[in-house]
Amino acid sequence: MSKNKVQYTEDQFIDGLRTGDNEILNALYKKYYNIVLKFIVNNSGSQEAAQDIYQETIIVLYENVQKPGFELNCQLQTYIYSIAKRLWLKQLKKNSKTFLFKDDDENEVVDVTEDVTAHETKEAELEKMNQSLAELGEPCATLIKDFYIQKLSMDEIAEKFGYTNADNAKNQKYKCLQRLKKSFFELLPVEQIERK
Amino acid sequence: MRPIDLFDDYLNGELSANDAAEFEARLNSDPTFANAFEQHKTLVDTLNRNEKRNAFKNKLKAIHASAFGNDAKIISIKTEEGFVKRYGKTVLVAASTAAIVVLSTVAAISPGVKQTINDFTELSFKVSASNNAVVEGIKEGARQKPLPAPANMEGSAFALNNKGYIITSSHMVKGADSVFVQNGSLERTLTEVILIDPKLDIAILKITNADITKKWEVPFTFHQKPTDIGETVYTLGYPRKDMVYGEGSLSSLSGYSNDTTMYQISIPVNPGNSGGPLLNDQGNVIGVIRGKITGAEATGFAIKSNEILKSISSITVDSIRTELLSQPKKQALKGLKRTEQIKRINPYVFNVLVYKKDI
Repeated sequence: MSKNKVQYTEDQFIDGLRTGDNEILNALYKKYYNIVLKFIVNNSGSQEAAQDIYQETIIVLYENVQKPGFELNCQLQTYIYSIAKRLWLKQLKKNSKTFLFKDDDENEVVDVTEDVTAHETKEAELEKMNQSLAELGEPCATLIKDFYIQKLSMDEIAEKFGYTNADNAKNQKYKCLQRLKKSFFELLPVEQIERK
Repeated sequence: MRPIDLFDDYLNGELSANDAAEFEARLNSDPTFANAFEQHKTLVDTLNRNEKRNAFKNKLKAIHASAFGNDAKIISIKTEEGFVKRYGKTVLVAASTAAIVVLSTVAAISPGVKQTINDFTELSFKVSASNNAVVEGIKEGARQKPLPAPANMEGSAFALNNKGYIITSSHMVKGADSVFVQNGSLERTLTEVILIDPKLDIAILKITNADITKKWEVPFTFHQKPTDIGETVYTLGYPRKDMVYGEGSLSSLSGYSNDTTMYQISIPVNPGNSGGPLLNDQGNVIGVIRGKITGAEATGFAIKSNEILKSISSITVDSIRTELLSQPKKQALKGLKRTEQIKRINPYVFNVLVYKKDI
């Protein structure tokens, strides 16, 4: 049992989520899990499903608070519950399972269609990137990440991957990115567009 | 220069001022080039967002593991229709899997205690084959209907309040497929496991059939404060098929291995007593029987009532917390003779029957 819990206000939760405060994320995560858990296990879900849905719910919330001018028009709990419910219903429908839906009377629900749809579009895009990176394989995936995410220089990459010089590394990176681009967009590589 | 290299150099600010200006001019005049650049930016941007998303997901997983643990088993109580048809009498079929709130994921017993855990006996009653034979033998003559299958584990429990909630030991219901309660006034009734606090070793069950519990008038309340040493205490439980009374005094304010969530009591407790109430003279619940030191006959341990209330108060689901904390209004037992108290308590102390698939 956690004792001496710091109590945060909803505004503090939202601000903390926006700024990436780990402690607040932690507290927020713990605070609302049970309500989602209860809902999912009451509606044909397992504990694992509850965990997945809850984490996706927190991601939707996280995405939304990053939006400029984000304002919550209901209680945080209501918002979280509504998102979780929508995500879970979609999943149940997708798996075309028959299920007994026991709505919790005490829990208010708000319309989150827009937020969830926006999230799903994003999620699909990111999922595609994950797939493309997986197909790309090694050393390409790491090389690409090192350059575009870690911002390593070509010299550092040459050293790390054992290329003779930065130009070689750059050629490798070029080839890798072409492949990634092709698989991600499923389009012709940009090279076919006129060269300078 | 290949477009990709040019794009990267531009984005990384590595083009000279002249080249950058030329680059921008070309973006304005050459839609195909501008298009390819946009695509490149989208790709790099998606890469970065993807990385952040994956990191955030991992963070959530880590939070979950540390907050709710991987060892926090949620017991899924599934109704087995066949089982109910074969053995149930007035049993009720729960409509779905039970909603369970796990209160705590801390290991059941702190590391220091673990080393000497062998001395500590949790008092649930593992029903062995020979035991059944004895029970069956005794009942042989009187039996008319086929008996239900013997439970895998038995113990005690008692009503928490008038809303059909029942408290027992978590070590007993751990891994259960179904949990039934019964006593002299209640036939075998299926319950749902609502909550488990493995740290305190308590579990809360609920009788889902409101018809059974609507007339409940639980005569005792949970004592809010710790009790004093020396107070006369008693317990009721089901170490065997009939309820057994035990009396003694509160001998220490800490329990096994100086655990301050428990009292030590001088009541001989036996397997099956686990989950039973510990009451004081006024008939208030001051604890829940948890265990004893192996081999020591007149030393028992009970989880303090105030610790249990504290644990319930920390539930974050408002509706569940409020329901569980609801206590009978009056203390109906104050001033009554012990025998009279017991008569009133009797219907609210239960024998718990736990069925497990794998033991």
